[in-house]
Amino acid sequence: MQWIAQGFIFRRITSPFHQLDPRVKLLVSIELFTLSLLVGSLPEVIIALSGIFAIASISKILRRISRTLTYTLFFAIIIFSINILVGYPLMDAFVIAVRFLAIVGSTSIFFLTTPPDELELVMKWFRLPRDIVFAFVTAVRFVPVLMMDALQIMDAQKSRGLELQKGNIFSRFRRFIPILIPLIVDAVLRSGDLAEAMEARAYGAVKKPTSLYQLEIGVWGKVATILSITLIVPLAYLFLFLM
Amino acid sequence: MIEFSSVEYRHPNGVLALRNIDLKIRKGEVLAIVGENGAGKTTLIKHTNGLLKPSKGKVTAFDMDTNDESVANLSRKIGIIFQNPDHQIFSESVENEVKFALKNFGFKEEAISERLEWALNFFDLERYRTTSPMLLSGGEKKRLCIASVLAWDPDVVVMDEPTVGQDFIQKERLIKIIQMLVSKGKTVVIVSHDIEFIWPLQPRVIVMCGGKIIADNKAGKIFQERELLNKARIVKPQLQELSEKIHGESSGAFSNIYDAKQWVISKLKSD
Ligand SMILES: Nc1ncnc2c1ncn2[C@@H]1O[C@H](COP(=O)(O)OP(=O)(O)OP(=O)(O)O)[C@@H](O)[C@H]1O
Ligand SMILES: [Mg+2]
Repeated sequence: MQWIAQGFIFRRITSPFHQLDPRVKLLVSIELFTLSLLVGSLPEVIIALSGIFAIASISKILRRISRTLTYTLFFAIIIFSINILVGYPLMDAFVIAVRFLAIVGSTSIFFLTTPPDELELVMKWFRLPRDIVFAFVTAVRFVPVLMMDALQIMDAQKSRGLELQKGNIFSRFRRFIPILIPLIVDAVLRSGDLAEAMEARAYGAVKKPTSLYQLEIGVWGKVATILSITLIVPLAYLFLFLM
Repeated sequence: MIEFSSVEYRHPNGVLALRNIDLKIRKGEVLAIVGENGAGKTTLIKHTNGLLKPSKGKVTAFDMDTNDESVANLSRKIGIIFQNPDHQIFSESVENEVKFALKNFGFKEEAISERLEWALNFFDLERYRTTSPMLLSGGEKKRLCIASVLAWDPDVVVMDEPTVGQDFIQKERLIKIIQMLVSKGKTVVIVSHDIEFIWPLQPRVIVMCGGKIIADNKAGKIFQERELLNKARIVKPQLQELSEKIHGESSGAFSNIYDAKQWVISKLKSD
């Protein structure tokens, strides 16, 4: 459980990729995503996946992305089985399943390398309404907090004799009620507190608040943008029409 | 009774929270664990009932290796009361909140109602019996949590920050409760920053710092060591301070505020 929780917690790492402008990271992520969508044969899948792992290793998140993909494997196996059942050839079913892994991997790249505050700047740059941006970013920020809460609640209930691993699926589900209720109540209380604290610090007092940080692409951002586009466009063309 | 031998614990994120812990908790003693934020106190007590298993070394409780026992089994003997009541309250009534653990531990129907009556009475929660626990005040919630653990009568009672949010009267009552538990032969472990609360209990004190135990002694001794207290960022208990001012260093201190008051009054009268 702890292990799963850790997978959701954003950690600040310094790597060449992390330091890029978040918009560039988003672009690279979208490019890999597109590539994964276009995949249709084994060599293509391999190319797309190696692209993802190459970026992951530059960003020093190989371990974390592998962890995400391990969870995703579960769904990939389901997809694979269903495809086999409905009569796809083995290789096609395999490619479709792995493509799913590539799609998840490419999106994770962005979220594993972009802290919530950069996410906020990107969303604002897209001119999304401020309240929506704030709600979304806060939700992202609170995932690890809720995870930690869940762990503490589980500790407290286990100490009162609750055994989570016991019994069949049905009774197991019932055993989660003592965990879920405090978790939900806690989240509601917390959001109330947060709203008051925000208002106390004049959230929403002016229509157009100023921002401390400005996005700036920089030289390396430009280099990465051009480089990635010159790589992706021919590859996509190749995938679509030649292979 | 509970024994830590060369215990080390590393959190999954790599933080080394306990280093080389050797500790014997003896039957019938009051043990206070103090130390700055992040010193590893909560991590330490989570090892007593097997919630956390040591990364290195061994913890035994009642001659059971915590690695081989379920948390439920160990908790039957070692009751931990956690800091935040909101992390455990879930029932629709105070009554059921207390019954929760009793049912989990397989108490018989009669035993359940007997223990429930005792707990509600003892903690002055009778009138809230059918109220939703979420509607109680912070202090009352805390009391309910303590009641819900003491209800199953564990041999060792571990409390993480029991005084947070409690008013003076409740703190005094908590001290009485702890003294009552000790007189019944129970072992009590208290994690607290509240030195003034610990002082009247005159417990054995261990001081933690950076995941290590840096001192282990009687309260009267520990609170005389200025350097140690500075290192662990602890302010001397006021009664210790007072008695040092009156009687000079290294003398025994007043064990509670009433003794001190008595002393001052008799002093004033005789002068
Ligand atoms: N679930 C967790 N995952 C990772 N690290 C943790 C976790 N819980 C605690 N830590 C870390 O372990 C160290 C010890 O934490 P612990 O909670 O035991 O301290 P504490 O002495 O109880 O502090 P406090 O007085 O604030 O309650 C801290 O550095 C903390 O950041
Ligand atoms: Mg703590």
